[in-house]
Amino acid sequence: MHITLRKLGLGLTVFLGLSQVSMLAAAQNADATKLYHRSLAATCANCHGTDGKGVPEGGMPLINNQSSAQILATLKAYKSGAREGTIMHQLAKGYTDEQLQIIANQLGKK
Amino acid sequence: MNRRHFMGQSAAALGLLTGLSGPARAANLQKAEILVIGGGYGGATAAKYLRLLSNNTARVTIIEPNPEFISCPMSNLVVGGSRKLSELTVSYDGLSKRHGIKIIKDSVVNIDAAKQTVQLASGKSMRFDKVVLSPGIGMMMDSVQGLAQANQAGVTLQAWKAGPETVALHNQVAAMRQGGVFAITIPEAPYRCPPGPYERACQVASYLKANNPTGKVLILDANQDVISKTGLFKKVWADQYAGMIEYRPKHNAVAVDAKTKTIKFDVQDDVKADVLNILPAMRAGDIAVKSGIANSNGRWANVNYINFESTAAKNVHVIGDAIQIAPLMPKSGHMANSHAKVTAAAIVAELSGWEVNPAPVLTNTCYSFVNAREVVHVASVHQYNAAEKTFRTVPGSGGLSTEPTTLEGVYAWGWARNIWADSLA
Repeated sequence: MHITLRKLGLGLTVFLGLSQVSMLAAAQNADATKLYHRSLAATCANCHGTDGKGVPEGGMPLINNQSSAQILATLKAYKSGAREGTIMHQLAKGYTDEQLQIIANQLGKK
Repeated sequence: MNRRHFMGQSAAALGLLTGLSGPARAANLQKAEILVIGGGYGGATAAKYLRLLSNNTARVTIIEPNPEFISCPMSNLVVGGSRKLSELTVSYDGLSKRHGIKIIKDSVVNIDAAKQTVQLASGKSMRFDKVVLSPGIGMMMDSVQGLAQANQAGVTLQAWKAGPETVALHNQVAAMRQGGVFAITIPEAPYRCPPGPYERACQVASYLKANNPTGKVLILDANQDVISKTGLFKKVWADQYAGMIEYRPKHNAVAVDAKTKTIKFDVQDDVKADVLNILPAMRAGDIAVKSGIANSNGRWANVNYINFESTAAKNVHVIGDAIQIAPLMPKSGHMANSHAKVTAAAIVAELSGWEVNPAPVLTNTCYSFVNAREVVHVASVHQYNAAEKTFRTVPGSGGLSTEPTTLEGVYAWGWARNIWADSLA
């Protein structure tokens, strides 16, 4: 009886422990992914502001009034050469399509 | 007994949890003592992004001797007289009041990586779990004989760290006799801000054109040729400053005589000038050299590029001009800001028990004013190459302006206002 209880208790603990680990791992992965996305989008912040919030009337085109789809379309047009620019057509070519997608998702108007 | 055993197993299971789980590791992030040494483009950005990317849970302290941030980019406009230093000065209040970063006005005199402590000039000692070291550059005054004495006598200036010297150099240019010669010497690359000396020559010439039209600007370059924006600068010198700017490559300054205002070179003939802006060879900021962190030839700090951790000192991450660069990586304020973000993200990931981003990206954009309003740029994107463990520029990306324009002059100020806000506000 005593042994059974102990086994049951241990089993329960291990079961709970593992399920918590996997739940936490999932949360951790989501946070880690979010960190990656934020740090990738931060490569735009030097010119377009932290989290895409540029200095109003600072002299640089503002991007925080655009949706993710609009930002992605613009970035892809710069990358393909369909859209000309002073500097953005040179910078957009340095990113993979996947990276541009992440950046657009991150910076687009919510 | 059985109950105790049960508790023991339970604790073991909990131990498994604390070993792997997010929240338990996050406690490390919250408990960690993170010191940022230097409040320039690199350090200020690192501190702010350590807070942002940790959702304001990391404890971050900046140690910086200057009361305010003064930007090196744009400071050649102060040398040329079209802007004031106050226009390039930003308070640290944003970092302290808005982002909760502790700012200590002091200098670090030693980093003991083994004991995980730093010593401050005031005598105080501080423990750390992580250091972000952004010490900027140090001038190798001994590389030009007589330079230290000439500086002390007030004859020569560098003005390669923006501040009172920047204004003093403008005053020397403004006080120069009609038809006088301004000479700038450039050390062999790498040095801080590759296009900076050529931009400065333009700014001084722009001032002379309006105020001292028979004056001359002599560029005496230790390098084989103009090392940044080469064609653009040469065209500007021919188009806008013909007969005023003279460029002489392969002029490696080895000595200066303060009394006769003469510069001596290793091979070429001596040059006399009225205003002498002598830039000696450069290396990582003194604290990196003193602490043994400048382990590349005793000049620059080798780092693992994935997280910018020093190869000489664990838990010390070095960013900005002080590092041994990856191929085609310039020593610029924008690049320091980029290093800082990769480093902040890597530290947050590491202290949270997560994998460090295996594919970080850096960008660089650099605007140079060729007169008070027209600007040319160079831009690049650097992706981490895991096989080579370094950053490589992406083929087909980056590039230069086609010509100087006032539109890029507007963007240059847009860049400045935004990067100051991104780093400090």
